[in-house]
Order: sequence, then structure tokens, then C-alpha cells
Amino acid sequence: MSRIHHVRRRLLVGFLAVAGFGIPAAPAADPTLQELDQKIRILERKLEIDQENAAAQTAPTVSAGSDGFAIVSADKAYQLKMHGYLQTDARFYFNDPEDKSVDTFLVRRARLIFDGRFGEDFEMRIAPDFGNNKTELQDGYLDYKPDPRVNVRMGYTKVPFGLERLQSSSETFFNETALSTALTPNSDTGLVLYGTLGKGILDYAAGVYNGVPDGASVFTDSDDAKDLVGRVFLSPFKNTGPDVLRGLSFGIAGTVGDRQGSDSNPNLPSYRTCGQQSFFNYKTSTNKASTAFADGEQVRVAPQFYYTLGSFGLLGEYILSEQEVANGKSSDSLDNSGWQLTASQVLTGESPSLKGVKPLRPYNPAKGDWGAIELALRYSELTFDDQAFDAGYADPKKSASSAEAVGVGVNWYLTCNVKLVLNYEQTTFTDGASDGDRPDEQIVIARAQFKF
Amino acid sequence: MNKNLSIIVLAFLGAALLVDAAPKPVTLLNVSYDPTREFYQAYNAVFARHWKEQTGGEVTINQSHGGSGKQARSVIDGLQADVVTLALAYDIDAIAEKSGRLPADWQKKLPHNSSPYVSTLAFLVRKGNPKGIRDWNDLVRPGVSVITPNPKTSGVARWNYLAAWGYALKANNGDAAQARDFVTRLFRNVPVLDSGARGATTTFIERGIGDVLINWENELLLVTKKLNPGEYELIVPSVSILAEPTVAVVEKVAARRGTQKIAQAYLEYLYSPEGQELAAQHFYRPTLASVAERYANQFPKLTLFTIDQVFGGWKKAQETHFADGGEFDRIYQ
Repeated sequence: MSRIHHVRRRLLVGFLAVAGFGIPAAPAADPTLQELDQKIRILERKLEIDQENAAAQTAPTVSAGSDGFAIVSADKAYQLKMHGYLQTDARFYFNDPEDKSVDTFLVRRARLIFDGRFGEDFEMRIAPDFGNNKTELQDGYLDYKPDPRVNVRMGYTKVPFGLERLQSSSETFFNETALSTALTPNSDTGLVLYGTLGKGILDYAAGVYNGVPDGASVFTDSDDAKDLVGRVFLSPFKNTGPDVLRGLSFGIAGTVGDRQGSDSNPNLPSYRTCGQQSFFNYKTSTNKASTAFADGEQVRVAPQFYYTLGSFGLLGEYILSEQEVANGKSSDSLDNSGWQLTASQVLTGESPSLKGVKPLRPYNPAKGDWGAIELALRYSELTFDDQAFDAGYADPKKSASSAEAVGVGVNWYLTCNVKLVLNYEQTTFTDGASDGDRPDEQIVIARAQFKF
Repeated sequence: MNKNLSIIVLAFLGAALLVDAAPKPVTLLNVSYDPTREFYQAYNAVFARHWKEQTGGEVTINQSHGGSGKQARSVIDGLQADVVTLALAYDIDAIAEKSGRLPADWQKKLPHNSSPYVSTLAFLVRKGNPKGIRDWNDLVRPGVSVITPNPKTSGVARWNYLAAWGYALKANNGDAAQARDFVTRLFRNVPVLDSGARGATTTFIERGIGDVLINWENELLLVTKKLNPGEYELIVPSVSILAEPTVAVVEKVAARRGTQKIAQAYLEYLYSPEGQELAAQHFYRPTLASVAERYANQFPKLTLFTIDQVFGGWKKAQETHFADGGEFDRIYQ
């Protein structure tokens, strides 16, 4: 308590003694004075407690930490949290004698994420990204979350389909996704019901979306047709069962929709390597009869799994994407497929996860702590239906009929906010060049990531 | 696949095999109540050394401290505690019941009903004991001002309340009406109800309010012997309640994090001679007879009753006295 406060209290006690009781002010040992002193102290303390309680009940809290920044109302019903990440990359190609690929530094992603909560059950997310000097909305949706078992989301977000695609870009094992992930839809606008059942054993999602081609993100629809999407992902041994199976999760996802294009707007995807080089395109031509376009149903299915044991992790998924395609001469249903296996091993004892690694000993060289280090190894494949070439929807001299990629990587998690990544990936092709097979792509991608 | 890539892949597999063979550093989170900070700071260093000697492994223990009830709610809401070391068995019961993260019979998993050390309640008075406070019945005298926190919000306050009630039952041949009257008169002498033990200590020591503070014996011994020697006096009542802080492994969290073995060892080591010695040095009454004997003179002698003996256990005490509409609500009206 301040000295002024203390002096004021003593003067007040003395005044009351004189004015109220006609007693001259006496030393503090006087019992009446002591009583009055105590009464004033009690009143002041009660006021202090009342003020503390009132402030606690109404005052919002503002916090800043490794998870970002937050403003939270006293009753926690209203919250605004800001977090995000910045990724700066260096891409260098090897074995590129014709200099077709450009070595470059770039800002791959610069993303801000705003999460809001309004009342008990309503939340929202807005996430713009400014990477590559573009401004794009990555997420913009509303959630109604009355119960962890049943939630509703409406807006623009990742389609619940591909396992690697659903990982945050800040948490993947490699800097760029596998070849097979190019077959999965990226972000779309729609309505989805989702939740977790059985104490975290089963995650499910069932939704209706505008519908997007493989690997694409689209805000608005170009036709009335919509895609239905469903996914279930089980972790049956998460809470019980033998230790060796506790880390096993598996599931399956599917999409059914209708994709309509035309010779002026084909509405078909192209496919890129991890070095972002396009290696497969459907044919477009000034001769409109030769231009391939989407012409009907698209069905996708993706069995997938993730397994961890100790500091080892293994991710696998297979994707089949069947699309009806036509040109001026014919119409076919093309089955394109791909798969990947990604293994990771954390060298510093932490456990791997689909959400990255949190170092047990954050970087502090003075204490001999160096963060967490994870090695990663990936094999992926992408194969296009032979009919795509036989029927003239794609040109084997320009588009590869298949691609295989092997990648190795090191992820160094200095802290929960800073990660350095070094990847080497080699992709080999069948066809795709005028004289046979497209040359291999050999690329090193280094990344510095700051996340909060 | 070319030769260079093959070498890299083989190196990766080799590193993976080597890594899995090496002992891994582990962290534990111990969620505890307020006054145990100094004790666990010392204990964690001793246990880490012991674990390294026994297994070669390294362990870091992170601590969280706060009011016992508040800490229990945090664990129920999802705080990933490997172990909890709280003031009341009831708070750990609440975690078991509401979150299912440990079994209902958790208290049988460790000796002494999972209570490695015990304490009790005592009185702190101002130097010279100007109001001549010697026992519980002095707290209900007119003109005596008693500081104790609110039993609706504070763990130690519930112990204080039950100790007073238990004293009055014993003094009146088990007459509950007399006990109610006694506790009513005691709370009439409480001028300020803080929400927690820390607030009550602030009221008594920093704000200079009240003639006597009721608090944990270990806290009051710390004040009189180390923090403010000579400024206050410890008064030991004739009878008090045996306060049994309890400890438990949060089994579901430990299983998910793979820390079951070390979490169990961490709590078991509290019962070892070294763990008991440390507890005694921090003014907790050890349960190991050999250590208790050595520190016997440090702890005042008084008659102690248990919550089971007088109140039939924590669940019954909570329902009867501290639930909404219970005895305390009626008394404090």
C-alpha cells in the first residue's frame, strides 16, 4: 500500500477519534484507535477484493506467446487470435543444361490467420496469404460447434480428402507435396458436417462443395453441379490396445461430382513436380476439335494411413481420380492414379506427428540444446491413363505418362516457432519429350520458416 | 534410382536404427497446488539426478502451480499433465470422474492412499500474540478477527473449515448442531473472505488485517522460520485435521506420451528416503517412519483426525458442506 495511502488512513483515524468521540488523537496503541484502524483497513481490503473481482469478471486478457497473439474476454466467450507463418525458400535445380528451370529465392508463403470466437458455439477463420507477391484468401469460413461430435462449417477451406493435403503447409514433412497429392482437390467453397466420435477414435466429414479439378482451388462455381465429399479417419487403438498399435490411424475419403468444360474453357487440371514445373497438360489447340475438356462425372477415392511408433512415423496414401474427358472426336473416362509413402525419423527423441515436431530442448547453444532434428524419406508416383494419349487428350511428346519421385529431407526444428528444412528430390518421367523421356528433375529446396 | 540416392537412403535407414537404440530425453508436466513451488523445484533436481543414475536417461520436469481446485479444472479442460500433485483427494477424484484420464481407484496405486507427505492447519498470530490465541475456541471470542479464505473457492479454506468443525464435534460429544454454531460464530469473526490462500496471506501480512491467520502448517513454518522470522508466531491448536495432499499419474496422458514408467517412478521416489528427507526440509510431515523420527522435533505435536474418520470422506464432506446450498452457504448467509 502506498505511503500516501497509509498516511491518509492514519489522519482519517485521528480525525474520527477527535470528531466522533471527542477524544484527542492518541498513539496507535490506543484500543479505540486500533479498532478504527482495523475497520478502515477491512473496508479498504473489501473494496480492493471487490475491484479485483469486478476487474477479473469484465477485463479482457491480452496475451502474446509462441502460439501467437490473443484478445480474450473475461468470460472467454469472445476471442480473437492472430497467428501465421512466413516461409522463404531457395530452389536450385541440378542437371538442367538447357536452363529450362530458374534457380530462385522466393517468399513461398506469408500467411496471417485470424481465428475468432463469438459466443459459446460460433467461430470463424480468415486467412489471407501474400506469398509470391500475390494476395489470396486461403481460408474464409464460419463454424457452428455445439458439440465436438457434430460441427458445421460453411465457407472456403481445404476439402476434407487427401491426407497430406489436409496437413498445414507449415507442418508437412517436405517443403512441397508429393506427386500423388496433385490428384487431390485443394480448397473449395461449400458446406460440411464434421466431428470426432468415440473419444477421438473416429474423425469424419461429409460435405457438399462447388467442385474443383485436381490440385485446384476455386472460389465460385461455373455450373450448377456440386461435389459430394466424405471422409472417415480412424484411430481405433488410440486409447486402448497394444502399445505397438497406439499410433496407427487409417481411413478413406471420396468425392463425387460433375465437371463440365468446353473447348474454350476446358476445366481440366495440369500437374506439376515438386519443383513446380508442369509435366502433364491436357491438349489445347487452335483446332478446337483437338482440345480436351472435362465432360462429366469425376470420382475420386483415397485410402490413407499414418503410423507412429516412438520417434518413427510413416504416412501413406493412394489416390484414384476418374474423370470423364472429351474432345471433338471422342469421350472417355480416364483413370489417373498415384501413391506415396513418406517415412520420418526424429533423431532427438521427440515423437513425429502430422502437426510437426515440438522440440523438447529448444535451441540454446549456451546450454548445449539444439532443438529437434527429423529425417524424412519419400517415394511417390503419378500415372496417367494410357487412354489419355491413345485418344489424343494429351500429347506424349509434351506430357509425361508417368512420373516417379524420390526425396530425402532434413527438418531442423530450432524452436516451436522456427524451422529450417533442406530437401533433395529427384523425379524421373516416362515420355513427355519429343525424343522420348523428359529429363529428370533434380532439385534442392531449402526453406526457413517462422511460425507463430 | 541412381547410386548417390541409394547411399542417402541407406544412410537414412542406418540413422533411424541407431536413433531408436539411444535413450531419449523426456519431459514431464507436474500440475501441483500453490505452496509446493519450492519443494518441487528441489525435488525435481534430485529426481532427475536419480533417474540419470538409474537409467542413463534425461528428464526435465515442468511445473504448474495454482489453487488446487483451479488446477484440477485445468487438467479436466485438457492441460496435458503427466502427474498431478494436489491439495485434496477430492480434486483428483474430480479429474477421474469428469475426464476419465485416470481410473476411479487411483488412490490405491501408491502407498498411504497416494499421500507421500502430510500436513495440517495451524494459526499464525502477530508477534507477542496480543489476543492470547491458544486454541480453536479462542477464534470465536468477540473481538478476535480471523483470516481464512473462502471455502467455495480455496482448497486450504476447506481444510480450515473442516478442522474447525471437527474440533467442535470433538469438544461437544459429536453434537452437529453445536459444531454448526461454532463454525457460524467463527465465520462471524472473519472480516474479509479472500478467494484463495495467497489472498488471505496478503490480507493478514501485507494489509495488516486480522489477529490470526489459519493456513497450512508447512506455509506457516516457512513464514516463521525462514521468510519473516521474529515478526509472527506459530500457534498450534490442540486438535486439527490431517491434511493429506495426494499424488497420481494421469494415466491416459502418460500412456499417450509414453511416459508411464517415468511418471510412476517420479511419484514413487517421493516415498524414498531422499524424497521424504526433502519433504521434511520443506516442512511437510514425512510418512516414512525413519525420516519422521529424525524430524519429529520440527513439527508440533497435536491430535490429528482424518476426513474419513469425522466426515466419511471427501465426497460426503463436499456434498454436505461445500456444494451449493450446503452447510457453508447456510452458515454464511
